[in-house]
Amino acid sequence: MADHEWNQEFEQENGQSSDKQLSVREDAVTGEVLDGNPPASSPKELPPVEAKRSFGFGVFLVCILFGFLVSMQFKSVKVSNNTITSSQLRAEELQSLLNKERAKNQELYEELLRSKDDLSSYRQMALQSGDYAAVLNSELTRAQLAAGFTDVVGPGLIITMSDSAGQITESGADSNYYIIHDNDILQVVNELRDAGAEAISINGERLLATSEIRCAGSTISVNNNRYVAPYVICAIGDAEGMSSALRMRGGVIEQLAIWGIQIELQKSDEVLIAGYTGKTSFQYARERLGEGEGE
Amino acid sequence: MASILGLAIGILLGLWFPGYFPQILSDYIGIMLVACADSIIGGLRAKALGEYNESIFISGFFINALLAAALTYFGKKINMQLGLAALVVFATRIFQNLAILRRNLLNLDSE
Repeated sequence: MADHEWNQEFEQENGQSSDKQLSVREDAVTGEVLDGNPPASSPKELPPVEAKRSFGFGVFLVCILFGFLVSMQFKSVKVSNNTITSSQLRAEELQSLLNKERAKNQELYEELLRSKDDLSSYRQMALQSGDYAAVLNSELTRAQLAAGFTDVVGPGLIITMSDSAGQITESGADSNYYIIHDNDILQVVNELRDAGAEAISINGERLLATSEIRCAGSTISVNNNRYVAPYVICAIGDAEGMSSALRMRGGVIEQLAIWGIQIELQKSDEVLIAGYTGKTSFQYARERLGEGEGE
Repeated sequence: MASILGLAIGILLGLWFPGYFPQILSDYIGIMLVACADSIIGGLRAKALGEYNESIFISGFFINALLAAALTYFGKKINMQLGLAALVVFATRIFQNLAILRRNLLNLDSE
């Protein structure tokens, strides 16, 4: 049996009949529609000489086209792969820039704190030098307290606002309604001020006379710094009054509860609110001399 | 010989040519490449068997490539990978034609 198989193999390698067999089978499988060359059974109309002469040019032309397509496609695929990696590289580069910028920010902040220490020690020295300096100093302290530049402590309220915790069950509901917006925080702050809050901070950022509370994408910008939910609002003042102002019927807590936004109130005897540490620059406003007290 | 020379010239031409195929055309060019390869192998086989016909070869080359690209296009439109069908046919034919070519060449050598 092994002999028989070997013989067949040999016949296939050598015999003309098996070639024909293969050709016929190939034509049967693929059909004639897609064929670029005549079937084995087609008549051999062209004399071999003419066929040979015309062969070179057609195949030559097609081969040029084929090679051109191949190398162009190789190049194009390589380029499109490279663009992906280059965009990744760009992201990494931006990340490292961001990290550098953060480190610089931290350094500058530390420098600022050192300068503030220096300033307070100078003031201490000035205080010891005379009465006039003492008056000026107390004036300065009052002004700083009013402006929100000093750390303050006192009884008050800590308000925590978080986005709606529950999943949105209704299909097609706008998820925007279920998150906290700048307006919600503005309402709360407004109520607090109305109820006599003396100092307010949002996530540790002191609210000044010039502070904004503004939507910045998915974050909220306060004093040009961005904060994300949950928002912790600290207020020093009459805790009872502020709490009832917020809880008022039809008030801000009740309105926001409709959307599942949670607001927790916590009274405290010791609320610490840090002073504003950023820079202030008055570009347009200037003091009008000869009016009022003039500090 | 002519085919190898043509291939070399084509590849060099492609490398020298400035610019690239746009990303969207990538699928079509790919399947056209396979169609071209099939046509060339088919032509070589026909030549080896002495059945070569220039006009059939040239028309087959272009029509195969265009049909393959068209199949891919319509496949994309109807969300079905019709290009695969053409791909399978071409690849199968490449193997078959190559087998016939190989047998033929071996036969000539032994004679």
